[in-house]
Amino acid sequence: MSDRPPLLEMRGISKAFFGTRVLDSVTLVAHAGEVLALLGENGAGKSTLIKILNGDYTKDEGEICLDGRPVEIRTPRDAAALGIRVIYQELHYAPDLTVAENLLMGRLPRRQGWGRKWLIDWPAAFQRARELLELLQVDVDPRARLRDLGVAQKQTVEIVKALSAQARILVMDEPTAALTPREADLLFDTIDKLRAQGVAIIYISHRLDEVFRIAQRVMVLRDGRHVGTVNTGAVTRRDLIRMMVGRDIDAAQSRADSPPTRREVALEVRGLSAAGAFEDVNLRLHRGEIVGIFGLLGAGHLEFSRALFGAEPAERGEVLVDGCLVALRSPEAARAAGIGFVPVDRKVEGLVMCMHVRGNVTLANWRGCTRMGLFQERQERERVQHWIQRLGIRMSGTSEQQVRFLSGGNQQKVVLARWLEANTHILILDEPTWGVDVGARADIHALLRELRDQGMAILVVSSDLQEVLSVSDRIIVMSRGRIVSEFPGDRATQAGLLGAAAGGAG
Amino acid sequence: MTSESDPRVASPRARPRVLPSLPTGIGLVALYAAMVVTLSIASPYFLSVNNLLNILLAVAVIGVISVGMTMVIISGGLDLSVGAVVALVGVAIALSHPVIGIGPAVILGLLVGVAVGLINGLAVTSIGINPLIATLGTLSLARGLAFVFSGGLTQPVLDRGFGFWGRGFVLGIPVPVIVFAIVWALGYIVLRHTTLGRAIYASGGNPQASWLAGIRVGYVRRLVYLICSAGAAIGGTLLTSQLAAGAPQAATGMELSVIAAVILGGASLSGGEGTLVGTLLGVLIMGTLNNGLVLLNVNPYYQEVARGVVLLLAVGLDQLRLQGR
Repeated sequence: MSDRPPLLEMRGISKAFFGTRVLDSVTLVAHAGEVLALLGENGAGKSTLIKILNGDYTKDEGEICLDGRPVEIRTPRDAAALGIRVIYQELHYAPDLTVAENLLMGRLPRRQGWGRKWLIDWPAAFQRARELLELLQVDVDPRARLRDLGVAQKQTVEIVKALSAQARILVMDEPTAALTPREADLLFDTIDKLRAQGVAIIYISHRLDEVFRIAQRVMVLRDGRHVGTVNTGAVTRRDLIRMMVGRDIDAAQSRADSPPTRREVALEVRGLSAAGAFEDVNLRLHRGEIVGIFGLLGAGHLEFSRALFGAEPAERGEVLVDGCLVALRSPEAARAAGIGFVPVDRKVEGLVMCMHVRGNVTLANWRGCTRMGLFQERQERERVQHWIQRLGIRMSGTSEQQVRFLSGGNQQKVVLARWLEANTHILILDEPTWGVDVGARADIHALLRELRDQGMAILVVSSDLQEVLSVSDRIIVMSRGRIVSEFPGDRATQAGLLGAAAGGAG
Repeated sequence: MTSESDPRVASPRARPRVLPSLPTGIGLVALYAAMVVTLSIASPYFLSVNNLLNILLAVAVIGVISVGMTMVIISGGLDLSVGAVVALVGVAIALSHPVIGIGPAVILGLLVGVAVGLINGLAVTSIGINPLIATLGTLSLARGLAFVFSGGLTQPVLDRGFGFWGRGFVLGIPVPVIVFAIVWALGYIVLRHTTLGRAIYASGGNPQASWLAGIRVGYVRRLVYLICSAGAAIGGTLLTSQLAAGAPQAATGMELSVIAAVILGGASLSGGEGTLVGTLLGVLIMGTLNNGLVLLNVNPYYQEVARGVVLLLAVGLDQLRLQGR
């Protein structure tokens, strides 16, 4: 690079929580006008590093320099004063206030003259907000309530807010996690504009496609150590995955190694419909088969899967389990019919975060560890221990540990363990590896294949092309609430699926 | 560094604990121990069997009610109606016993309590009214009915045998204390060892996830309100026996004492967390505090102040401990 010192340099940063080193002498360099992608599995130390940069945590060792001068960052306020802005996954905004109020929070313009300390100059506020939005050519009404905006628009507002506070370094933590592909494109445009303005962007993501698309350099962390920083042009996906995981994982790993022999039908759906969500869906799911349902956001595939589990109402149609008609009025009824369900958002819908791992694993079936309604705790511990080992759930304590202290991938495995403990023979998974790191993702996919080989019927509902392609024996594409096409797993391609999914929408 | 301390497990997003090795609620035990030691030194009367039984007797009614309240709070709810239920049950027993006899009158009282619990549960689950509002409504309703039926007057209970429940002794132990012990032990078994207990924790910790795991969350919630009101009815029966009368203004504000004890005991108002051991400690701390202040001859007006300070201190310290830093 040039002779000028880099805009940001974090040197030899270390941090430990109670004797556990989460960062070990990590060095990060970011230049003005570049996008630096920060990669690593969950728990690799990315978030800790960023929180140190933002003053949320204090570092144990190391030095932070801006423009070559050492700076001290003790609180988020210090960071903001230095032009460092972090946009976390969970956005912080006031949903019932207007865009303008959110943008100018804490520095709304005051009226001139009488009452100039207390009264807000609204016309000036909206004018100022409009100017800020125009800087990035964002088409959002400053008078709109934030609640009424889409996720991408909210994110853009957050970025504009960061910039209006003269941010020179912008950190984004998995910004596309909740975005549709189209919204993500908008975000990437914004990022390009920022880069042109000389902002340094640190971009955290699990999605390698995005990294290759927008980042100039990639920095990889593993187990709190700096594995390396490379130019994106000089590496392949495979290289990056190896750096992150420390072993080789074939991303597009063997899907159906051998086409499964067709066995009996486990689940049959006839003409299932729900107004405004999905229409006349017919489906047969066999034992020993993984069927992927692919759709873009709003295609109705998620609603359909929830209806199969009784979590959302269906108005017409029939569902047969093992050839018998069942009424799936509630999750309880679906569970009784042998259906298990892994929801999209494990924090909100999957796990009782303040409960121990043990209780979360046995939550859907107490029969194995109770006698006459009383828990046999030793028996329960043993069963849970069995699943922990079987699924390779990693945690620092015992099964008495609260589940919220586990990483995303391990939490997802706890939800899976629950349905295995419940003797499920039909498993429905919504976005099974959403927000899960590469290693756990491969584990979960391998587990699904193994369960299939043992005769389980599995429905993987996902908006993640890679996932659907790598794991399914058969792929069904939904669009606008209808099934638009079906592919055998070995003949499906990215282009084919996307074409079908988008074609129906167009 | 051992192999167990896998860094990827120590999720950096989790709030670090400053005192990770101490179990939650250790502060409570320490607080109670300090209180007992201080009072033993300050007052020669404090540490006697008689005085300890006095403390237990004084907290028995609140203690009985706190068991059901703990369940409601763990399930993510709140029940403000318990004090009013105590009064209504007392009035019901006092007014009905001359006509139907004391046995049926007590059963009628319990049914009245259960009826209020049923309304609470249905209002919260089937209609979806916020628990605070729903039980504020039934508080008003029950208290109002107690005044209507009694004409605003304290109604005596003349049955002699009935006094046993509030004022009797078995093996030197006051009967209300024994009732409290039994109710507490039953509650402990339910919460700690039964599937219902697990369902209560799960429903409070994350109702949506529990429902998607096949737990009947609505049923569990209706049940805990029923249990809580039944507990209040038992408490009301004990109090009526102690006073030998049913008074419409009895137990005014008792719901707040009960809730304070449960929260002091470590239960979380957002649900999912709490234990009956903690609640027992909370009840004992409040009772011992009152007793100690009386023994030390402190102006009774200050008792209320002291209760407030202890509650703020204990919960505040626990919160700081959890937040770290």
